Amino acid sequence: MQKRHPLATFALYASVLVTCAILLFPIYWMVVTALQPSSNLRAYPPQFWPADPQWNVFADLLAKHPFVLWFSNTILIAFATMTLSLAVSILAAYALSRFRLRGGTGLGLFILTSKMLPATLLIIPLFAIFRSTGLVGSLWSVVIAQATLIVPFCTWMLKGYFDTMPPELEQAALVDGCSPLGTIFRIVLPVAAPGLAATALYAFVVSWSDFLFGRTFLTTNDESWTLQMGIASLKGEFVTEWNVIMAGSIMASIPIIIVYLFLERFLVGGLAAGSEK
Amino acid sequence: MATVQFEQITKSYGAVEAIRNFNLDIADGEFCVFVGPSGCGKSTALKMLAGLEATSGGTISIGGRDVTELGPGKRDIAMVFQNYALYPHMSVRKNIGFGLKMHNMASSEIDRRVEEAARLLELTPYLDRKPRALSGGQRQRVALGRAIVREPAAFLMDEPLSNLDAKLRVQTRSEIVKLQRRLGVTTIYVTHDQTEALTMADKIVVMKGGEIQQVGSAEELFHTPVNVFVAGFIGSPGMNFFHGRVESGARGPVTRFGGQHIPLPDSCAGMSGRDMIFGIRPEHIRVGLEGPDVGLSLVENLGTEKILHFHTPAENVLELDRTQLGADEERDAQTMLIRVIDDRRYSEAETLSLAFPVEKLHVFDPDTHAAAG
Repeated sequence: MQKRHPLATFALYASVLVTCAILLFPIYWMVVTALQPSSNLRAYPPQFWPADPQWNVFADLLAKHPFVLWFSNTILIAFATMTLSLAVSILAAYALSRFRLRGGTGLGLFILTSKMLPATLLIIPLFAIFRSTGLVGSLWSVVIAQATLIVPFCTWMLKGYFDTMPPELEQAALVDGCSPLGTIFRIVLPVAAPGLAATALYAFVVSWSDFLFGRTFLTTNDESWTLQMGIASLKGEFVTEWNVIMAGSIMASIPIIIVYLFLERFLVGGLAAGSEK
Repeated sequence: MATVQFEQITKSYGAVEAIRNFNLDIADGEFCVFVGPSGCGKSTALKMLAGLEATSGGTISIGGRDVTELGPGKRDIAMVFQNYALYPHMSVRKNIGFGLKMHNMASSEIDRRVEEAARLLELTPYLDRKPRALSGGQRQRVALGRAIVREPAAFLMDEPLSNLDAKLRVQTRSEIVKLQRRLGVTTIYVTHDQTEALTMADKIVVMKGGEIQQVGSAEELFHTPVNVFVAGFIGSPGMNFFHGRVESGARGPVTRFGGQHIPLPDSCAGMSGRDMIFGIRPEHIRVGLEGPDVGLSLVENLGTEKILHFHTPAENVLELDRTQLGADEERDAQTMLIRVIDDRRYSEAETLSLAFPVEKLHVFDPDTHAAAG
């Protein structure tokens, strides 16, 4: 391999550093803001690390607000959305990828078009449906509403992934005596693990950061609020405790980081390598 | 171990008929090769036998049992795919044992059979590796192992050697044949490579355009092809063809080749005045003193043998394309080849006199392309 010029190496590392700094600065500022009283926020010169970090902000948040409840609501919604979206889109994507369906291409494009509709457009018809089915105020309303937007995209992601898998793998399993459904569970899904992980991560993140659907369907009482709604409610009309909001934001980011760390090893591609020649 | 029968099998995709009138009996323990150019329906026929493609008509039986409506898992067959289709998330051991597990075999018995197959295929050191950590040849052997542990009624192989390099292909070819002889399992093998077909098969099925052209041993296909396609497809290089009118000569039927008379077999006596297609294999043309003169256009020296090219005389050129002649890409009807094994030096532009031995001439009907006489 050609040896890189020292200046090129320097430029490479410098640009990586700058990119990381730009990406990480908001997170750093979130932590710094959480750990000092709001009054310090506009102090000049700014303090890059608070002289007296106020760690008790987290305890205050948990004591004064039903934060744990919001947190568990959001976890429930995110996992339910992820599970429902994956279950539906795996079967849909597999069918679109493997079966010669009459009008299959048109159907696939139709599914994709529904992803292009903005959520705000769907919210009124969805509200009407949930009101008549008595789901308004139930966490399920948010799960179903989010799945309507997440499923189309996941279906296309997974279809793309299934398309790259040689159909001979499933044929081999069928010849080996596996049932068609068994083939999906024993062969297709394990081999598609990286694709599934990416899809699951997408569903989880989209669901976790939802504000619109929660704000519309779950307003009846604060016990069914999600984290995003709860954090938004902390912003007062006259006084806003930015340190408390940022403490909430830090805690809200933790599950995303955990889910990402857990799924990351599946995200690494190349698992399908070696099945063929 | 079992016989395999195709009766009146057809397969259509909409209006397109991929397989027509497919009838075939394969004996117990026989090594049967389906061969033909790409798109001839050989893989479709194999997939229908495997149960991976539905038939449009007719019945398929394995061991006397009608399996036409059964799923692939219930046909008691094992298959080796062109791309091996090893399960990438399973170790070699699990790959080989998967079929047995699916048939609810006890794990101790699975272990025993997997170990035995691994020993036979020299895969024992790799049993706990994943397929991606194996070489192409090793993956190919795992695919074979997956088939043999099942002890099925029949092996189905879909171009299993086409992804190997030339040297490994020749070696694996003979290993598969030895393995098949040893296990005695009826084997149906699909290839587009006629050399593979000739060297491996007990029975060769030559296919074209979804129809069986001829079924027979390598010997039969080589010496008594039933039509122009089989004659041109089997043999390397394939048969030379030319066109001519049968005339009555003093000592029997003759035709003109480059203006000169060449004798024809006695069976052509009744065809006087008819235009026919004649075929002769490159190795059967004799370079001598007595016959028509041709100028060499190219000399290919392959060491032991030489391939001499010359232009077919204009009046003898056939108006048929390559696919009808069963020829590969390098052949056309304008050029004829001579294969010689001797120490003589040949040069391009040299003029040679040729002789076409009467007993080696093949005669075909120009309309049906079927062998005549």
